Amino acid sequence: MKNPFEAFHHAGTRKREIPLDTILKSKEETLSKILTGYEDLLKNEAKDLVWLMQYSTVIKAYSIAEKGMEGIEYTAEDIEEFCYALDHSDQIPYLITGPAGVYISALCNHAQEEEIRLQLRDLNVKINLLGYRLPSNKQLIVEGNVGDFTGIGLDGGELIIEGSGKNYTGAGMKQGKIVVRHNLGFNTGHGMTGGELMVGGRIKGLGKIVGGKVYEKDQLIFPNEGIKPFYF
Amino acid sequence: MQNGHYQKRVRKIYTYISDNLYLNRPDVAIKGEPFNSTLLLSLLTALNRGKELIMGEPGLGKTTSAEYVGSIIYRYPLGIIWGSEVSGHPEQTEEKIIGRPDLGELNKGREKVVWSNFAQIPVKIVDEINRLPETKQSMILNGVDRGNWEYLNEILINDEYSLFATANYQDRGTNTIIAPLIDRFDVLIESRHPGSNIAYTIGKEARVNHPLRHPQYEKELHHILRGEKPYEEKMALAEGVCDLFGEYMKDQLGLEGLARGERGEINEEMAKLDFDIDANALVRMMLAELSFCHKYGQKRSVEVCEDGCHYSGYLCHHIKNCASNRLPMSIRNYAQSLAWFLEDDGVDLEHVRLIIPYVLAHRIQWKDSYLSKKEGEGRNDPFQIYLAKEAAEEVFQRYNEQREYLLEAFAVGYRAIDGEEVIPLEGDHPIYEEIKRDIGAKDEKSL
Repeated sequence: MKNPFEAFHHAGTRKREIPLDTILKSKEETLSKILTGYEDLLKNEAKDLVWLMQYSTVIKAYSIAEKGMEGIEYTAEDIEEFCYALDHSDQIPYLITGPAGVYISALCNHAQEEEIRLQLRDLNVKINLLGYRLPSNKQLIVEGNVGDFTGIGLDGGELIIEGSGKNYTGAGMKQGKIVVRHNLGFNTGHGMTGGELMVGGRIKGLGKIVGGKVYEKDQLIFPNEGIKPFYF
Repeated sequence: MQNGHYQKRVRKIYTYISDNLYLNRPDVAIKGEPFNSTLLLSLLTALNRGKELIMGEPGLGKTTSAEYVGSIIYRYPLGIIWGSEVSGHPEQTEEKIIGRPDLGELNKGREKVVWSNFAQIPVKIVDEINRLPETKQSMILNGVDRGNWEYLNEILINDEYSLFATANYQDRGTNTIIAPLIDRFDVLIESRHPGSNIAYTIGKEARVNHPLRHPQYEKELHHILRGEKPYEEKMALAEGVCDLFGEYMKDQLGLEGLARGERGEINEEMAKLDFDIDANALVRMMLAELSFCHKYGQKRSVEVCEDGCHYSGYLCHHIKNCASNRLPMSIRNYAQSLAWFLEDDGVDLEHVRLIIPYVLAHRIQWKDSYLSKKEGEGRNDPFQIYLAKEAAEEVFQRYNEQREYLLEAFAVGYRAIDGEEVIPLEGDHPIYEEIKRDIGAKDEKSL
């Protein structure tokens, strides 16, 4: 007798592709490209797994990051995925928060969306340098705590941190607005020349501020009579 | 692969009938295209030599839709179709339906049959079939099934025919269509009311001179059919007149019917269309639910399964009878015809999903308890078709939920029959039990 299951000879090994599969596949491909760009940055900038935070290294790292992500089509969701991949992926053995922050900032600054929301509450590490050079047409909202040097060199964008930041937040910012719901560390606003920095909680200490405004619990604390602008 | 030449002609016929003769609303959609189910399935019936039962209220186009489709596809003038129809009424006789003795020859002591037009021409229409008493329905069983018509000691076999039967809803003058006869119909459809606005247009455009009438060719065809030549010879002559009527339709209406050879080619093209793996598996799953019985081995209309059965969530628990082997044949024919009509490369899930309710509706005998439960539900279709549509969607949903696993189970079945030692996959659906039975993994109950 003819095998009644003839048509299913190879059936068990074939999978039907549903639209979700296609979406996931495309998401995986995008994430893989983003991770490759980040790896290239690490290879160039942190050969010995050490990254010294200097103004010149940040500028160089940013320009390498921009090159690494050239031609990648991504969305804000992909940036968030990347943040979690940094925390959990086997593909990235080392998370160095400096280059990671520069790379994420570059991704945000070049994203198509004007509003980017990153849910980072569950991250084990605090990313440094988020919001670096955020341009004037962008709003970056970060849910969770962030590391040092957040929003440095901010260039007109709006950075909202739904949590706390660490030291040197808003350092060197030129224009725009940084809103931090909770607390900030030392040297806040160091070298900032313009813009507004509003903190809902406490600021441990201000840096040498050249211009702009700093608020603590809705109170303008810079400039005021006690703290005058610093001239480098 | 076919080049779509015939499909374009058939589509033109669909559009012409839909726009001019059988005005209707679309009530089904496939691959984004809306169709009227009555017209679409009638067209497929004429193309695939099928048998269709059309139900509906009086005067809603049951018979006329079949007449138009049959007339154009087979290129018989409408007068011949009318003259060949059999009407179902209690006094109907075999002599009027099939044939009668040639009285002149009988006087000379010789037996010779004069076949009816109905028995001879390929477009067969039985009007109001359920007005035939149940005892007389048996007369047409063989003819309906195989195209074999017997009278006295003579036999006439139709090589090609399509059968359309109409049935009114139950009233004082109707009878039940007997189970063996109803199972012989491939599809059940309803000719519905087109809605008040279209109905108004029908009233407005009622015409005297029908475009599908041609008195001269009708006369010639009657003459041929009444003649004494052998049946095959008569059919060859009739085809010549049909060619002329085909030319007439082309000139006057811009329609190209199908010659006998062309209809044959179309059927060959249809038969070449394979079911893809999903369509194949879905049909098997459906058949399992309509034939499986955990307690008695298979469904039998004389054996009712118990309430506490493990399989009470499946169709087998709600039905009384067993799916006949004509069911998969009907599914295959109509799904292939539909795929052909849509110019698809093969039969897929969408074709099968559209077809299943119509091949199932008249064949399932639901349990009374199930009927009472569903009776009050709001619906657009007649109860039988509604229940079949619900059943088809239910099985389709189950198929989607366990597709990968089921295909794996079939693949394991293949390997087992191929001689490999494998453990069959277990599952809750009756199909897994059927697979186990096929590969001998489940012992048949001892007698």
